Amino acid sequence: MQHTIKCMISTVSKTAVYSMQKGAPQQAFSQVRFTHLRAPGPCDQRKYSPFPKAKSAGQWVVMRLDDALNWGRKSSVWPLTFGLACCAVEMMHFASPRYDMDRFGVVFRASPRQVDLMIVAGTLTNKMACALRKVYDQMPDPKWVISMGSCANGGGYYHYSYSVVRGCDRVVPVDIYVPGCPPSAEALLGSVLQLQRKIKRMKTLQIWYRK
Amino acid sequence: MSAFGLDKITKLFQIIKVNGGIRASLYKLYRFDDLKDGKLVGQDDFGNKYYENPRYFFGRSRWVEYAPQFNMDYDGSQVPAEWFGWLHYKTDLIPTQDKDRPKYKWMLPHTENLSGTTGQYVPYSTTRPKVEPWIPKSSKV
Repeated sequence: MQHTIKCMISTVSKTAVYSMQKGAPQQAFSQVRFTHLRAPGPCDQRKYSPFPKAKSAGQWVVMRLDDALNWGRKSSVWPLTFGLACCAVEMMHFASPRYDMDRFGVVFRASPRQVDLMIVAGTLTNKMACALRKVYDQMPDPKWVISMGSCANGGGYYHYSYSVVRGCDRVVPVDIYVPGCPPSAEALLGSVLQLQRKIKRMKTLQIWYRK
Repeated sequence: MSAFGLDKITKLFQIIKVNGGIRASLYKLYRFDDLKDGKLVGQDDFGNKYYENPRYFFGRSRWVEYAPQFNMDYDGSQVPAEWFGWLHYKTDLIPTQDKDRPKYKWMLPHTENLSGTTGQYVPYSTTRPKVEPWIPKSSKV
């Protein structure tokens, strides 16, 4: 008994030492500390802007300009009509009056040139992957991608199929993953709201000012 | 009166009065895009207020007004678990009425979705990795 416990302790410590050497969790944590905004407490009074207090007048101006820019961007996110499979039906529900995506300024556009968001709704097959990437490359910056449903997230039901890409993040960078098979229209709505929060944190001009 | 739909206008004035005047009503419209009259059913630890009015149809008859400190930064994950069931019509009993809810010492206070901030969940492995990554030797400059 004593021996097994000792063994367990030794393996645990070994694992801990190993992960410390590789620095895997440390790296992730320290990166989050530097790149992310401070987490608000549940009782803190929140302001409109997610940015911290400015240290100089110039920074303040740039922050407010960023706020204005982000406000414009987040309140007219135009997605591409890009339905691949059954998830597209839920995407259509999101467009129809019950969930009414137009109230968030989300309007489907048929051309990738007029679009800032791509909702990958459904199974991405190998044959479609090059078309998806091409359409993504045709979108103007800034652009975002929502991966909708388990097929787009990681292959889902067709993970072991010979003809399916195991997750659309192998082809395009993904911002928001929506779980579900298919996710409800409500879940997709939630993902768009999350994307709006993400857009609100963008530091386009602040990074330009830093440079 | 009601034949011409005039009772709707009196209802509107009533709703504005219930919400605390024109100024307060406009502020509520700005924050929630909605103006309703209802019975205050309860309040959670964060200060979110829960309302009910069966006059509105099922699905819209229960709603939450987020606490003032959240400002425009409110979202669904700020509704704590004990109120979630009532708000989604899973139960008709509010947390204080329901005696059968599990309550253990190890239950943590509710946290909202903190993705994108320093409070976000970062996954990490506690097992030894099966694959050893190749770390190329860098020449010291």
